[in-house]
Amino acid sequence: MMARFLRSYARLPGLLLVAVGLALSASATSAQEVIKFGAPLPLTGPLAPEAIKQQQGYDLWAEQVNKAGGMSVGGKKYKVEIVYSDYQSNTPRAVQATEQMITQNGVNFMFSPFGSGAAKAASSLSERYKMPTIASTASSSQVYDQGYKYLFGTFTPNDTLTTPLTKIVKAKASNVKKVAILARNDLFPLAIAQEMEKSAKANGFEVVYFEKYAIGTLDHSATLSQIKTLSPQWIFVTGYINDLLLVRKQMTDQQIKADVVSMIAGPAYQEFIDAAGASGENITSAAWWHPAAKYDGKDIFGTTENYVKLFREKFKSDPDYAQASASVSGALFQMAIEKAGTLDKDKVRDALAATDVMTFWGPVKFGSTGQINSLEPPVFQLQGGKAVVLSPDIIKQGEFKLGVN
Amino acid sequence: MSRANLALLVLIISIATLPLFGGPYALRLGTIACMYAILALSWNVVGGFAGYPSFATAAFFGLGAYIGGVLLARGAPLTIAVPAAGAGSFLVAALLGAALLRLRGHYFAIASLSLIEVFRELINNATDLTGGGMGLNIPLSASAGILADAMFFFYMMWGLLLATAVMVIVVSLSKLGFGLSCIRQNETAANMVGLNTTLYKSIAFGLSACFVGAAGAVYAGWVHYIDPSDVFDILYSVKPIVMALIGGLGSPLGVTIGAFVYLGLEEVVWRNYIQIHSGVLGVLIVLLLLFLPHGLMSLRGRKLFWRVKNV
Amino acid sequence: MLAAQIVVNALVLGCLYACIAIGFSLVWGVLNVINLMHGSFIVLGAYFAWSLYQGFHIAPWYALAIAAPLFFLFGYVIQRLILNRVITAPVLVTLTLTFGLDLILNNAMIYYFKADYRKLILTPPTGSVSIAGAVVPVDRLIATAAALALTGVLYLILRRLRVGRAIVAVRLDRDAAVLMGVDVNSIYAIAFGLGTALAGCAGVLMALIFPISPLTSTAYLGKAFVVCVLGGLGSVSGALAGGILLALIEGVGSAMIGPAHAITLSFMLLIAFLILRPQGLLGRKGFE
Repeated sequence: MMARFLRSYARLPGLLLVAVGLALSASATSAQEVIKFGAPLPLTGPLAPEAIKQQQGYDLWAEQVNKAGGMSVGGKKYKVEIVYSDYQSNTPRAVQATEQMITQNGVNFMFSPFGSGAAKAASSLSERYKMPTIASTASSSQVYDQGYKYLFGTFTPNDTLTTPLTKIVKAKASNVKKVAILARNDLFPLAIAQEMEKSAKANGFEVVYFEKYAIGTLDHSATLSQIKTLSPQWIFVTGYINDLLLVRKQMTDQQIKADVVSMIAGPAYQEFIDAAGASGENITSAAWWHPAAKYDGKDIFGTTENYVKLFREKFKSDPDYAQASASVSGALFQMAIEKAGTLDKDKVRDALAATDVMTFWGPVKFGSTGQINSLEPPVFQLQGGKAVVLSPDIIKQGEFKLGVN
Repeated sequence: MSRANLALLVLIISIATLPLFGGPYALRLGTIACMYAILALSWNVVGGFAGYPSFATAAFFGLGAYIGGVLLARGAPLTIAVPAAGAGSFLVAALLGAALLRLRGHYFAIASLSLIEVFRELINNATDLTGGGMGLNIPLSASAGILADAMFFFYMMWGLLLATAVMVIVVSLSKLGFGLSCIRQNETAANMVGLNTTLYKSIAFGLSACFVGAAGAVYAGWVHYIDPSDVFDILYSVKPIVMALIGGLGSPLGVTIGAFVYLGLEEVVWRNYIQIHSGVLGVLIVLLLLFLPHGLMSLRGRKLFWRVKNV
Repeated sequence: MLAAQIVVNALVLGCLYACIAIGFSLVWGVLNVINLMHGSFIVLGAYFAWSLYQGFHIAPWYALAIAAPLFFLFGYVIQRLILNRVITAPVLVTLTLTFGLDLILNNAMIYYFKADYRKLILTPPTGSVSIAGAVVPVDRLIATAAALALTGVLYLILRRLRVGRAIVAVRLDRDAAVLMGVDVNSIYAIAFGLGTALAGCAGVLMALIFPISPLTSTAYLGKAFVVCVLGGLGSVSGALAGGILLALIEGVGSAMIGPAHAITLSFMLLIAFLILRPQGLLGRKGFE
C-alpha cells in the first residue's frame, strides 16, 4: 500500500525537477573571443525610464568598442557583449539577476543595478564572488563604506550636488533667506533633499518648509498653495522627471514665483527642458555631468564633444548624466582591462583601483572606498531653453540669473 | 492523515535534499520556491478553506519584513526577529480580521487590497524607524561563505515551509478547519447553528498572516535591503492566488505544487523574454483561468478517480 | 485665502477624479467585475490624445469624439471574447483575470511607447484665471467641464435610452431583467464597452494635465477604487460626490499633516467606509 502510494507520487518531484532543470539549462555556452558584461536593468516597473538611459549608455560604448575591432587584452582582440536582464524595479530581483549572471551566464564583469539601494544590495554578491563591479548610478556613500574591495562608483556623494548650488545662491542672491523643500519619498530624491536641508542650514538659510510627497502623487496643488503662503525665496523640489514636470506645471498654474527654483533631477534631462518650455526658464539644478562640459578624455570617446556627437548620431537626442555614466563605466572597465592585460578578476580590480585618468566624463580617480572622488559636479541653469553651466569654473558658461516666474 | 497531506509532507521533505544537487543559484531558487509555497499555503487558509478572496498577503509579507528588518537592524538575532514578525503579523491580522471579514465578496477584496496601500504608506512615512523611501539596510551577519549562507537561508525558509504545512494540515483536521469550510459553504447558516464565525475567521486570517510575516522577516535577513515598494508589492498578493489556481483551490498539496510550477514558469519566462515577460505572464494567467479554472490537480484528480474505481 | 484656494483646487480635481472613476464604477456595478485594467485604459486614452495632437494637431477635446467609439469597440470585444467566459465565476477569478489582462496591456504599452514620460504641451499655453481670489488653470477647467459633460452624457444614456434602462435593470436585478427579456450578455458587453469608452475619454482629458506613461496606471486605478467606495457603486452622482470628497480630503490632509500622508489618509478612509458604510456616500443599501 505504502509503496504504491509512494510510487504514485514519486512523479511529482520529478516533474518539478524537470521544470527547474529547464530553467537552469537555458544558457551555458560561452564563446572565447568575447568579454561579457552583466547589466541587470529595471526595464519594467517604476524605474523603467531610467533603464532605457542605462541601456543606451552601455550599448553606445559596446558598439564603439566593437566597431574599433574590440578590446586588446594581452595582444588578443576581444569583442564586448552586454548581457541584460530585467529585474522589474524590484531590488531582490536585482540581486537574483546578479547572482544568475555571475553563476549561470558566466559574465566576466558586472555593472550594478540602478540606484543606491539595489547597487548596495547586489554589491555583497560582487564581493563574495570577487567580481569587479562598477555602479554607474549609486551616489550614497553608504553603498561604498561597507569595506568592499570589488565595487567602484562613478557618482560622487549627494552633498557634492547640493553644496555648490547653495554656495552659488548664497553668493549671488543676497535677498534669499527662506527655503522651501519638497521631496519625493523615494531613495535618491529624499536623500538629496536631506542633504539640501543640511547645506541650507549650514549656510544660514531658514528652511520654512520640508515635506515629502508619496510616490504616485497625482496632484500637488494643495501643497503648492501652502508653500505659496509661506513666500519662500527659494523653492527646492526633488523627484523624477514626471513629478517635477507636474510640480512645475502646477506652480505656473498657481502663479507661484520665487527668486530661485531648483529641481533635481529633472532639468538635467532634455525631455524636461522640452516639456517645461518657457516655464523652465531660470530653473537651477545640479548633476554629475552635463553635455556642455568640456573634457579632453583619454578614453575611447575622447572629448565630451565627441561623446555627445556619437550619442546624437545613434539616438537622435542629447545624452544626460545617466547615459554618460553608463558609457563611462564601460570605458573605465575597458581601460583597466587593457592596462591589466588579462581578464583575471583580481588584476582588473587592482587596475580599476589604480585608475587616475581624464575621461569625457571628467577626471576619474577612485577613493579608498571605491567611490569616485575626483569629480566636481556641474551646477547649471536653464536659460533661453538651454542648460548653461554655472560652476565649476573650468567649464563655466554663464552667469547665474535670478527670478523664476 | 489523508494521502494528500502525507504526500505534501513527503514532497516538502524531499525538497530538503536540494543542496545535494545544486549550487548557490539553485539554492536561491529553492529559497524562493519555499517562500512562494509558504505564501500560497497561508493564503489557502483564508482563501481556500474559508473562501474569502484575500489580497492582503503582500500587506503582511511587508509588515513581517519590516518588523523583522527593524529588529535585525537594531542587532536582534534572527531567532528573535522571525518569531516576533510572525507573532506581530498574527496579532495585527487577527484584530483587523475581526473588522474586515465582516465584508464579503468584492468589498472584502478591495479592503484587503487597500491594506497593502495603507501599510506601505504608514511604513513609508515612519522615516525615523524604517528609513522610509530610502529603504532599510540590514547588516550582514558574519558571512561563512557563499554556499554556507545560501544553505543557511534555504533551510531557514524550508523549516518555515514545513511549519506552515503542519499548521495547514492541523487546521484542516481540526474543528477550526471544519468551521471554515462551513463558513465557505454558507456563512449565514453556520452562524445560525451557533458557530462563532467572527472568531473563526479572525483566527484564520491571523494564521494566514503569521507565517507570511515570518517569511517576510527571513527574507529581510536574506536580501539585506528592503524598501517599501519592494516588499509591499501587489504581486505578492496575486502570485499566491495564481499558484492556488494552478494547483487547485483548497488542496494544500495542490497549492504547494502550484507554487513550484509557478516558480518554474516564472523563471523560464523571465529568462527568455527580457522585454515582454510580464505580458507573457499575463497571457499564462489568462489562459489558465479560461481553460483550466480548477487547476492542474483537476487533471490529476480525474485520473486518480479513474484508478480508484478500477482497483 | 489658502482655504479658498484649497477648496477650488479640490472641486476641480474632484471632477477629474470622478471622471477617472465613473467607468470603473459602471463596470463594477453592472457586471460585478472589478476591472483592474481600468488604469491602463486611461493611460491608453492619454497616449491616444498625445498621438493625435503630436501627429495631426488635433486638440484633446476634439479627440474625445474619436476616442469614445474606438474604446467602446475595444471594451466590447474584450468583454465578448474573454470576460464573458468567467462572468459568473467568483470574484477571485474575475479579479485575477483582469489582473492578467492588465499585465498584458501594460507590458504592451511599455514595449510600444517605452516607459519614458510624455507630455502633451498645448501651443499656445492656456494660462490661468482668477476666481474669487483663487487661481485656476484654464486647461484644468476645460478638462473639468469635459468631465462633467461626460458624466452628464452617461447619466442621460442610463436615464433616457432604452439600452440605458436595460443596463440599470440588469444592475438592480439581473434575474428579473432576464425574465423581462433583456439579453444580459449583450447588456454586459455594452456596459463594459461604455466603461472602457469612459476610461479612454478620461485618459484623453488627463493627457492635458498629467505626464503620460504606462507607469501611472496604478495611480489612476487607486483613485478609482477610493472614489467608487466613497461615493457608492454604479451611480453617476455617487462618483461625483466621491471624487470631490476624495480631493477635499487629500487637499486638506496634505495641508494639515503633510502631503506624504494624503494617500494613507484616503485609503484608511476607504477601509473605514467599506466597514461602516459600504453603500457609499450616496448609495442605497442592499446592492451587494
